[in-house]
Amino acid sequence: MSEPLLQVQDLVKEFPGRRSLLDWLRRRPARPVRALDGVSFQLRAGEVIALVGESGCGKTTTGNLLMGLLPPSGGRVVLDGQEVGRLSRRGLQRLRRSAQMVFQDPYESLNPRMTVGDIVAEPLQVHGVGGSRAGVRERVEAALTSAGMTPVSAYLKRYPYELSGGQRQRVVIAAALALEPALLIADEPVSMLDVSIRAEILNLLGALAKQRGIAVVMITHDLSTVAAYADRIAVMYLGRIVEHGPTRQVLANPRHPYAQALLSVVPIPDPAARRRPVILGGETPDPSRIPSGCRFHPRCPLAFDRCPIVDPPLFPVGPDHQAACLLVENG
Amino acid sequence: MTALIEVTAPPALEPSRRTWRRFLQHRMGLVGAAMLLVALVVAVFAPLIAPYDPYESVRVNILDIYQKPSAAHLLGTDDGGKDVLSSLIYGARVSLVVGFAAAAIALVIGGLIGIVAGYRGGWVGSLLMRITDFFLVIPDLALQIVLVAIIGPSLGTIIVVIGALGWTTTARLVRSQTLTVRERKYVMRARAIGAGDAHILRRHILPAVLPLMLANMVLVISLAILSESTLAFLGLGDPTVISWGQMLNFAFGRGAVSAGAWWALLPPGFAIVWVVLGTTLLGTALEDALNPRLKRHHLEAPGGDVARDRPVLDIPPPALDVAAPILRVRELAVEFDSPDGPLRAVDGISFDLRRGETLGLVGESGCGKTTTVLGILRLLPPGGRIVGGQVWFDGEDLLSLDGRDLRAFRWTRLSLVFQGAMNAMNPVRTIGDQIAEAIRLHAPDTSKAEANRRAGELLERVGIGRRRANEYPHTYSGGMRQRAMIALALACEPDVIIADEPTTALDVMIQAQILELLGGIARDFGMGIILVTHDLGVVAQVCDRVVVMYGGGLAEENEAAPLFATPQHPYTQQLLLSFPDLAHPDRPLRGIPGSPPRLDAMPPGCRFAPRCPYVFDRCHVERPPEYPTAVGGRATCFLLDPDEETRR
Repeated sequence: MSEPLLQVQDLVKEFPGRRSLLDWLRRRPARPVRALDGVSFQLRAGEVIALVGESGCGKTTTGNLLMGLLPPSGGRVVLDGQEVGRLSRRGLQRLRRSAQMVFQDPYESLNPRMTVGDIVAEPLQVHGVGGSRAGVRERVEAALTSAGMTPVSAYLKRYPYELSGGQRQRVVIAAALALEPALLIADEPVSMLDVSIRAEILNLLGALAKQRGIAVVMITHDLSTVAAYADRIAVMYLGRIVEHGPTRQVLANPRHPYAQALLSVVPIPDPAARRRPVILGGETPDPSRIPSGCRFHPRCPLAFDRCPIVDPPLFPVGPDHQAACLLVENG
Repeated sequence: MTALIEVTAPPALEPSRRTWRRFLQHRMGLVGAAMLLVALVVAVFAPLIAPYDPYESVRVNILDIYQKPSAAHLLGTDDGGKDVLSSLIYGARVSLVVGFAAAAIALVIGGLIGIVAGYRGGWVGSLLMRITDFFLVIPDLALQIVLVAIIGPSLGTIIVVIGALGWTTTARLVRSQTLTVRERKYVMRARAIGAGDAHILRRHILPAVLPLMLANMVLVISLAILSESTLAFLGLGDPTVISWGQMLNFAFGRGAVSAGAWWALLPPGFAIVWVVLGTTLLGTALEDALNPRLKRHHLEAPGGDVARDRPVLDIPPPALDVAAPILRVRELAVEFDSPDGPLRAVDGISFDLRRGETLGLVGESGCGKTTTVLGILRLLPPGGRIVGGQVWFDGEDLLSLDGRDLRAFRWTRLSLVFQGAMNAMNPVRTIGDQIAEAIRLHAPDTSKAEANRRAGELLERVGIGRRRANEYPHTYSGGMRQRAMIALALACEPDVIIADEPTTALDVMIQAQILELLGGIARDFGMGIILVTHDLGVVAQVCDRVVVMYGGGLAEENEAAPLFATPQHPYTQQLLLSFPDLAHPDRPLRGIPGSPPRLDAMPPGCRFAPRCPYVFDRCHVERPPEYPTAVGGRATCFLLDPDEETRR
């Protein structure tokens, strides 16, 4: 089997905590915020993985570390044989060519003073790719075509404010595609878009993976939007992956109590299918005070005596399917 | 198939052209530009215009001194017997050269400091801004006088001194603009692309900062001209050149006042006022045009929520009986002002809400769902007004209530829970205090202790717990604020709660908590709830009946079960197909081609026609009325017209 394109091993990210005046007076040290606490996964070319979780679970931090926008505090990210955190400035520049990002807000992420053509050409100019003017233009047109902005000539000279939300997100995707990256990181790519537009953008990202072999990391809070597009799902909670497996298996047979609860509260557009949701009390704890043992135990409806003591690793629960819960320790 | 059928919109103006248009609307700016242009022409063509050359050395004839204006000397002569008009014309050169050159220096220094301070931030930024503050507080004129006196008054010195002291406002302006642009998402995106600082500065920061600097430069020019005149008037001008300030200096110092020679005093003074006024007018207009936030706003009509010339519909007031809907909305229409005339945001929507019922008002952005509920509450933002229809609430016509009755109505019978819950809370008062206040507002007889007790109960009911009543809003998380907001809405025991996207910014687990809470409240209190949302999943989970809106009008209305099982309007059908369903994760999602119509480009016929897969000729010319559907609801589609079948 070929070497995976992306390897993430035991990734840790800590942010220095803030000390309040009271802490300072009591001489209490600052409490670091552990945004990521040992995250590992692999991704092959053409594969789509969805990192799913609520706010504070560390999914966006993971994306930033994969892009080399933040240095990791521990562990490593290896993309195409190169370790991201250890790259020189020049190495980072090269990395940026192979990993590109699609942001959440297409209304904010385009410079209002630049035309669509200039926006898509910008990454080429930054990296000095494409050579002559004609070469750049050719690549820009190819990228816009791939992103479904056809006929290209109708859009090249337009400004962002003339485009709808869906079209803007296509421009963002085209700009990411211009450098022909091997990895796309999409951070909530459709959450700001209208429902009727979302499917097209998701279909586009899915097609890019399948047809052009681009690996895609989709970061989202919404399980339902990725169900049809992701090959694998990694459910995150407080800086850890708590369940990881093929999409179909995770959806049909979630093993971790958090994944079960998360799945049960996703609204289904069918009044006849009103389910009995497992509504967890309270909210995700502060990542500067991670609970002892299993980090989910204070909110877990199935917690038992060992949970506050033992921090469970990911146990295999099926082919390629793991869950970090003591209840599935024996498969 | 054409890939994307776009709704054709009138070509919007480019940003630069819009700026230009705003500038032209500013008449004073044009006047200023004209005044400055006159001064420029005079300065450039001074040798051609001036009747004499003031730099030519002539022997002073005692008879020539302070001659009255005459045909030979239109503005008389000065203390040296020279023609005042010619000196005035040549003086424009010095004033403008000093103005432009000093402003250029100030702009370069200020721009550089501002960009570095804004872009680098950190201690460098703080240090630069403290230096700027220092220069801002020391009196410019005093320092200018000292410096010019020490270095010696030559034109070059004066330019450098004025420029080196006049950059502070520019630096502050540029810094704040740089700071805003630096934090923009598109700059972050450029960084993720791999762009370095040089690229970001050149492509993103400078284009955003330069126009502001240009406008600021004009104002700096006027200040520089004024400074030069002041220095020259105080005798610190370059003795080898003629400037307006110096003319004044000589006239005052050499007996023009005692000689009654007003012509030696007034013209240079007038010239200074002319140029400074011109540049100030121009600069203010430019700043206004480039910084739209300074303008607008207060120009628009203040909160025109009541429609005085609302056409009265011929709908009889509904009979009062218990089974009757608590809220009846009939043909409600709302318009917003825009530069190109009024835009119809809601175009005749009608629906009922019964007690204990949860009604979902669904649609995509711009469909008018939020505007509809704001219209019902008469809380439309400035520029919006109700232009038709009626809203009956328990037998009362809401749209004709006057201010005081309306306010009483809003909280006590009809409460609003909206998305940005934080903004609805007073940050400096505890949550419990605010809820108790609402209770006492509703029932003034309640004692303070009793109100506090009930506030605690309400917080308990929404799952917060009474012990957190004494905390301030900022200590609450997003989900808890939304709960507190619901407690606040419940405080007056209203008949109807309108919840506008109450869970949109929240995590799914918190959303489930809030939806469960709302459902429980509807059950326990028998309230009517209108849930405004774009999320069909949420609607399916909690709503009894659904109104689907599109482009400001009704698309379809029905009970929830048949609406989801057998949607009748093509838009409802397509919307359901594009919504992901975890119960059927393998079903491929189909989006709807194109995008929702813009208010300024509403299709003339059916609003959904440009995106509809079943569209036919009639849809493009005629707007479909409401037809009853076979499954008990109503929908606006010609496919449901009984005559249409026979016609085909």
